[in-house]
Amino acid sequence: MNNIIDKVSECLVRAGSTFREDQKTAYRNAIANEPNNQSCWVMQQELDNALVAEENRSPLCDDTGIPHLFLEVGPNCNVTGELLEQIKEGIAQGLRQLPGRPMAIKGDDNARIDQSGGLDEDSGALAPSPILIKPVKEDVLRLTVLMLGGGPAIRGVTQRVFHKHNVDVVIDEIVSRAKEGVSKLGCSPCVLAVGIGRSQFEATSLMMEAMVYGDFGKQSVFEKIITEKVNESNIGPLGLGGKHSVLATFAKVGPQRASGVRIVALRPCCCFEPRRASVEL
Amino acid sequence: MIELTTPLKEDIIRQLKVGDVVTITGNIYTGRDAVLPKIVNAAENGSLKNLGIDLQGAVIFHTAVSPAGVGPTSSNKVEIECTFEPLSKAGVKMHLGKGAISKETVKALAEQNAVFAIIPPVTALLGSQTVEKEIVAFPELGMEAFNRLKVVKYQAIIAAAKGESIYE
Repeated sequence: MNNIIDKVSECLVRAGSTFREDQKTAYRNAIANEPNNQSCWVMQQELDNALVAEENRSPLCDDTGIPHLFLEVGPNCNVTGELLEQIKEGIAQGLRQLPGRPMAIKGDDNARIDQSGGLDEDSGALAPSPILIKPVKEDVLRLTVLMLGGGPAIRGVTQRVFHKHNVDVVIDEIVSRAKEGVSKLGCSPCVLAVGIGRSQFEATSLMMEAMVYGDFGKQSVFEKIITEKVNESNIGPLGLGGKHSVLATFAKVGPQRASGVRIVALRPCCCFEPRRASVEL
Repeated sequence: MIELTTPLKEDIIRQLKVGDVVTITGNIYTGRDAVLPKIVNAAENGSLKNLGIDLQGAVIFHTAVSPAGVGPTSSNKVEIECTFEPLSKAGVKMHLGKGAISKETVKALAEQNAVFAIIPPVTALLGSQTVEKEIVAFPELGMEAFNRLKVVKYQAIIAAAKGESIYE
């Protein structure tokens, strides 16, 4: 028995199988306020699915996603190589327990690109993404596991915006990109994850942070404007029309460069995302 | 809600219209990008029977089958959508997946009295409604092999029928 390995494993299973309470409330509110009967049916199915998944501790979606890790480190906490190895082992064990879809690609660089080496049958062989580490004031060592699916990865975009010294220009560009992504994503209503920074790496890191801290019940004015403008598109759940193409926006604005450009990372998260759970190690 | 049992009869399909919510009970097949073109080839060269496949009145669900469960993939991927017409000609009555399909495909379905239905990506619910699963053909494709599922009351919505589409 290893305490950290077990905690990480349990955290991954929770991330892949559970809606948080703010997420359930967002769905219930959307169902109550959606005039389109077909879209109501879709959202009710998605909420029912979440309740069954939580009870069974089974995957919310058959694309169980790639584990992405976010580690908050307090002032008196230590991160060692041994800890990182234990986290990695906990992820592997969690993937086997969920179970994750076996989708680790075998082979050398070329074989992994063209998928000619086949798939590893072991769910636990799926490597997590690099760990993002954030110093925090709270004296805690807290790991958040995010399970990120393929559909949103296809439709996400990280690109510059020339802001013209006007925040509305940036919002309008985010809305434009989001409408295109949401309309092509089969599994909606979406949550828009947004990071705005000085480089592609920083913007994407901020977008990850937005997914870690985002709360359906606590939306900033910036986030509300984006959600409302995208919902004017009437794309609706599964593209069937209605008021709820997007349930919320989770945005994080970082430090900015003294220039005319902002780098914006945008991920139209699917109807179950951000699939996330946290654990104190 | 309209309750459907497989194999689907011609007259039942003729009554379905866009926006109908249906339940599906019985045996259905699964396949996606990797295997469906192979099933089309088998239908065209007359080897379906050798593979143990009967497409008359069949439902084909566009999904992988893995230990994680089942869930729809996008049906408008080129290698999936191009199978709608030939598989409908071979007897398939319902293509089950997600995403908007082209006008040409909607028309081709109507000509064969077949429909397209979309199903939300509700893996946990579908798991509770799937009572049996077995690989029928092309096991070397792993989770993308051609499978048969025995299902109880999968819910879906008719997205294309009689030349009309829910996305128009």
